[in-house]
Amino acid sequence: MEGSLNVLGAGIAYGLAAFGPGLGIGIIGGKAVEAMARQPEMAGKVQTTMFIAIAFTEALALLGFVLALILSA
Amino acid sequence: MDGFAEKLASKLHHYSVLPFSDVNGTVDAVDPFVLTNYTFFLVIAFVITLVFFLVAARRVSIVPQGIGQVAEAGYEFIRNLCVDNMGKDGAKYAPFIGTLFFFILFNNVIGLVPGALPGTGSIGVTATWALMVFIVYNAIGFKKNGVIGYLKSFVPSGVREMGPGGRFTLGPFIFILEIVGHFLRPLTLAVRLYANMFAGGIILGIFGIFMILGVQQLGALGITMTGFGFMMLVIMYGFKVFVAFIQAYVFAILTSVYIGGALHASEH
Repeated sequence: MEGSLNVLGAGIAYGLAAFGPGLGIGIIGGKAVEAMARQPEMAGKVQTTMFIAIAFTEALALLGFVLALILSA
Repeated sequence: MDGFAEKLASKLHHYSVLPFSDVNGTVDAVDPFVLTNYTFFLVIAFVITLVFFLVAARRVSIVPQGIGQVAEAGYEFIRNLCVDNMGKDGAKYAPFIGTLFFFILFNNVIGLVPGALPGTGSIGVTATWALMVFIVYNAIGFKKNGVIGYLKSFVPSGVREMGPGGRFTLGPFIFILEIVGHFLRPLTLAVRLYANMFAGGIILGIFGIFMILGVQQLGALGITMTGFGFMMLVIMYGFKVFVAFIQAYVFAILTSVYIGGALHASEH
């Protein structure tokens, strides 16, 4: 019984952890496209910054993934 | 839908770390020095990377041809990435970033071959590289800025120039926050690559099983399941090709950003 609750908790934890970063990465990507369309000559720099920003945002989802693995193990 | 759980379990078993001599067995590899299914493909990727660049470097000419052209274009791409993120002296670190990028790329691409596994789909492999990146960029930071200078850079200059009231309350707090952030860097670097490569294979496996079960069914349900499974399999495979490249690129770009930050730590 305890094990199945752990798995349920892992699923909920990952789902919630992916929710915020999902929104965040969507906003970052959208804004990056906006910036690139406005100033195509800055596309390279915008892309680099976008990847860095995505990495920071994604870190939260990855922490949720690790937590889910720990909970379900 | 009977049989789905068992097939899924056996498919997932294929992705766990097993000794290479007994891939179909039930015993997980616990001995750190045993050749596992992941390290087997890691060694293959290593050999391919080595041979690729040895062949490319064997016939160096002003106008590169064949493999040399591909290797040179790839290396130039990495060098530009380094210069963009680290400033003029970034080209010095291009061999390190390039080695990481191409080794990860070849590993990921090998994982696309049906039946093979990406060496990067094992947390031990990616964690080792992430730890190596962590040590390298911190060593560069300490060497370039001195121990005091590098540690000082963890507190932003705006806080350092505040009055003693702000400096001694906000300063330690931000310092601890930065330290935690630095220790999270290798963790996320390792988990990002591992999770993407590991999950990609499992998703393909799930849709593959879905298709097989659809073939076994009769009537409209079977046709729908087969069609849906096949369609998703093709789409996901295309997505996995994209992920294989993008994850190698992200690992390289983040490593160069971390090294760049350590190089120019004293400037902000």
